[in-house]
Amino acid sequence: MSSAKVASTSNSLMSDYFEDDRASKDMCPICKTDKYLSPNMKFLINPECYHKICESCVDRIFSLGPAPCPYPNCGKILRKNKFKKQIFDDLRIEREIDIRKKVGNIYNKTEEDFSDLKEYNKYLESVENIIFNLNYGIDVEETEANLIKYEAEHKIEILEKNLNESKKNADLAKYQEARERLKQEKIRIQKQMEVEDKEYDKQQQQELLDKLTSGSSANTDDIIKQQNNNKLLRASSRKKKLQQLNNQLDQEFNKTNPLYKHAKDLEDSYKTPFTPFKGDRDLNKNYTLLPIPNDVDELMNIENHIADSYHDPYVNQLAKNKEYLGAGWRLQNVFERALDEAFIGLGCIIEKEKA
Amino acid sequence: MSTTTKTIGNDSKSPIKYSKDRKVGEGTYAVVYLGNQISTQRKIAIKEIKTGIFKDGLDMSAIREVKYLQELKHPNVIELVDVFSTTNNLNLVLEFLPCDLEVLIKDTTIVFKSADIKSWLLMTLRGIHHCHRNFILHRDLKPNNLLLAPDGELKIADFGLARSLGNPNEDLSSNVVTRWYRAPELLFGAKHYTGAVDIWSIGIIFAELMLRTPYLPGKDDVDQLDVTFRALGTPTEQIWPNVSNLPMYNALRVYPPPSRQELRNRFSAATEKALDLLISMTQLDPSRRCDSTQALLHEFFTESPRPTEPENLPKKKVKKSNDEDESEGGTKRRKL
Repeated sequence: MSSAKVASTSNSLMSDYFEDDRASKDMCPICKTDKYLSPNMKFLINPECYHKICESCVDRIFSLGPAPCPYPNCGKILRKNKFKKQIFDDLRIEREIDIRKKVGNIYNKTEEDFSDLKEYNKYLESVENIIFNLNYGIDVEETEANLIKYEAEHKIEILEKNLNESKKNADLAKYQEARERLKQEKIRIQKQMEVEDKEYDKQQQQELLDKLTSGSSANTDDIIKQQNNNKLLRASSRKKKLQQLNNQLDQEFNKTNPLYKHAKDLEDSYKTPFTPFKGDRDLNKNYTLLPIPNDVDELMNIENHIADSYHDPYVNQLAKNKEYLGAGWRLQNVFERALDEAFIGLGCIIEKEKA
Repeated sequence: MSTTTKTIGNDSKSPIKYSKDRKVGEGTYAVVYLGNQISTQRKIAIKEIKTGIFKDGLDMSAIREVKYLQELKHPNVIELVDVFSTTNNLNLVLEFLPCDLEVLIKDTTIVFKSADIKSWLLMTLRGIHHCHRNFILHRDLKPNNLLLAPDGELKIADFGLARSLGNPNEDLSSNVVTRWYRAPELLFGAKHYTGAVDIWSIGIIFAELMLRTPYLPGKDDVDQLDVTFRALGTPTEQIWPNVSNLPMYNALRVYPPPSRQELRNRFSAATEKALDLLISMTQLDPSRRCDSTQALLHEFFTESPRPTEPENLPKKKVKKSNDEDESEGGTKRRKL
């Protein structure tokens, strides 16, 4: 019983500002239009009082100039051009953001305007205090007055700061735009190449058919094999070309990129160059490996490819095992490992390692 | 909090080497205690292997862990400080690592920058490169086996499934690696796989770091195949020669391989180089997958931004000391 009472009182406190009952959520309280029946309706709010009104009502009531809010007991004078779409479900958040925007436009200093971090934090704290007061209705009039006073006193400073910031943002906007363009360009090139590839495939198919039907003396298998080879060759060269084009685009992009210089400076500020292995990589093997067949076709036909390689009939036989091949097992790894393990200790002095 | 101390029998000069401070976790095979190395005051974890509950003596994973960790010493592999035995149990003294990557991935309050992901990936690859050049396969890489030291350094841990490459004709068990990180050749029951299985796991972890959610979460072994191929295409003889000779090969459903654009959409924050590396680490055909050296030399690591220095990487937020105890226990328990 008592808990229900508490809930209802806190609710009535809220509902003054934020009428948010389930029933009223999708219904305009002025014209009673329901969202369910007219799905195209939109709700707008005005940062004066944050009462939710549907678009058509706003048009109807406020198109002739400022008028009082139609909510009972509100009566704040609203203007049509201040109405905006509600972004957050919770109107409290919507309001806080508006307050933040307003205060932030006046108190617009950034960290570089302060001599040390402590000063800057103090400034931020004071700004937060103002926002908190306005948001929770503590000394609103006094705070508002202070805000206006500060704005009047620092008018020129604020304007200068705004100008500087907008310059910076322009750079960023330019960068983002350029990046978007780069992305689109890349996609375009790739699509174009895909279309070309398809056409080429079709053409090849046709040629193949022509050749086969013309009944030339050459073996059909040979023709097909040759064509497949051509296809593979072309695919790899196309891939390379695509890579090249992409790199070119990247480079051009970096040249025009205003942030690139910054990134480069950052890179230069590191004392040591980046090393992927942190210097821990043994490049000087103590042996040289003889050529070992690694291609699947060569391995299937290994007898003809091991003249200059290692003589180990047992392992060489394993290399042909299709199950082994499918699992990624390769002859090369076996010999490499055997030699690594045989010579790994050379040049390693145990006394030195211990110390 | 009672402090018991352990002595080491065979070293009479300094009988007390480690202190055992408190229990932080317990699993089926071991109990983990937090302690100190007396001589250096360094924090350590003591893993006490339970004996006597197995009819064949010690648990296999404990033997594996000792066997391989004794051989490996690298900044990105967990250090086995010491091994000693008391009357009826075996104790592994490991360096104490308070956090793991899974905890960070799950903590949605932490934001990962692309440089952070690069740094973790780099350290993982350095660690696995060291294992592979010593011909040791880890076979259980996943975010909660990648532990994080207080200084931010990432260390590969849990060598309970590790093994060294045996004879060329020796069969390896294909029932290894936690399911979500299992390479396609293992799903097909291959018995002669290579270090490429670890690279696959790292590729999946890389994807998970970008997505902040598991990349290929299969519900069971059959579903895992389906999920994997739905994401990366069904392997055919053309893209993976001899795949149909693997014991459990079946092309359940044929999915087309994803286009570059699909991958771009999947990993919207990844750069082109990042995608290149991800693609080459998650090649279905193990012989086309890159090895750890190729991965480390990839341009992804040299392009801007530079990998974050370990000490600047995001860390688990410590709230209260009470909370800390519990969460530490949690991390350790998973490590068992």
